[in-house]
Amino acid sequence: MTHTKQIFTGLVAGLALAAVTLPAIAHHSTNGIYDQAVEVELTGKVKAWKFINPHPSLTLTVVDEKGEAHDWDVSYGGSAVAHLKRRGYGADTFKPGDELKVKGHPALVKEAYGLLMEGGNPTHADGTPWALTPPAR
Amino acid sequence: MKLNALKLAGMLLLPGAAMLLGSSIASAASGDIPDLNGVWQWGRCVNGGPGISCMLLEEDDARLTGRAKALRDALDEAAAPKYDCAPMSIPHMWTDPYSHQIEQFDDRVVFSYGKDDVVRTAWLPNSDHQKPKANEYFYFGDSTARYEDGALIVETSHFTFDPQGLNADFRLASSTQKHVTERYTREGDDLVLEVTTTDTFFLKEPWVYKVKSVRDPEELALPWDCNQEGARDILKLMAPKYPNDPPIVRLPE
Repeated sequence: MTHTKQIFTGLVAGLALAAVTLPAIAHHSTNGIYDQAVEVELTGKVKAWKFINPHPSLTLTVVDEKGEAHDWDVSYGGSAVAHLKRRGYGADTFKPGDELKVKGHPALVKEAYGLLMEGGNPTHADGTPWALTPPAR
Repeated sequence: MKLNALKLAGMLLLPGAAMLLGSSIASAASGDIPDLNGVWQWGRCVNGGPGISCMLLEEDDARLTGRAKALRDALDEAAAPKYDCAPMSIPHMWTDPYSHQIEQFDDRVVFSYGKDDVVRTAWLPNSDHQKPKANEYFYFGDSTARYEDGALIVETSHFTFDPQGLNADFRLASSTQKHVTERYTREGDDLVLEVTTTDTFFLKEPWVYKVKSVRDPEELALPWDCNQEGARDILKLMAPKYPNDPPIVRLPE
């Protein structure tokens, strides 16, 4: 694998996934696409952030252990613009060049460099939370 | 890309908007008419499984016919219309996590959904709605409605054949013989929807589930403005089902 870090596999990952991916299951667009038994952590620079329906998408350029750069499509699963707005996201949340860390499940087609992010949010590269501003309700 | 989405929204929205001019919202909550007006959140299962599982037919569900399974195995999910921003029809649409709005008028009930700019109209008996001809089919079917024992009953038939009509992910199709009955009631502050789906081509027996929704304090976030390129993004993560076929060439905008 070219992923930067494999954290853990098996039952623990499966249970964690079941707890956090209800929207993805609901939208039924990720079944059979991501390897739910594998969890990886990526650190890279934002290439693009598209705040669009049906699903906002984040492209992260990650340099692997061989020094090769790959563009990862980081997915929020079934979440749409309205869902992420409620979590404090907007069109300007990320800018090209921002350095982020994300955790999730890689695509089964390894050459495609896709990642289904877990239920949390990307963090800064040092692990500190990325500033999000949910609307007042 | 956006033009297609706008065309679709126009086709779905204009008939309902035009009718708004000639009618007013019915005063519900009297007698046999439950007050369903308002925005309601995504429903969760009351029976038939936890969470949303009652609304999802599994790919090997015992209720599926042999035809349904044969077609499932042949269909390439990459060809599903959802990747071109096409909406899902009922009953599968209710599995998506979006709110919906109900408006009760004297001659009809209008359902608007928080995804894909979908608007459905169910015509009440005092409307002048014409029953479609036997060979007329519609993506969301033809819906009629009535109030009965404190419930709103919506009956829908005349659906087009739909390769994702029962489940988009598992390639479970529905046929022109699909018939969907919605039964809406109030349970305290909640909205209860019972859905019964029959389709003699693809289901051995009626598929029934019940979901409950609470009010949504927010308006629907419309227009949906689906981005076709974005919708197709995930296709590159799918292994092709027919790798020897030539690459897909999309029609020009």
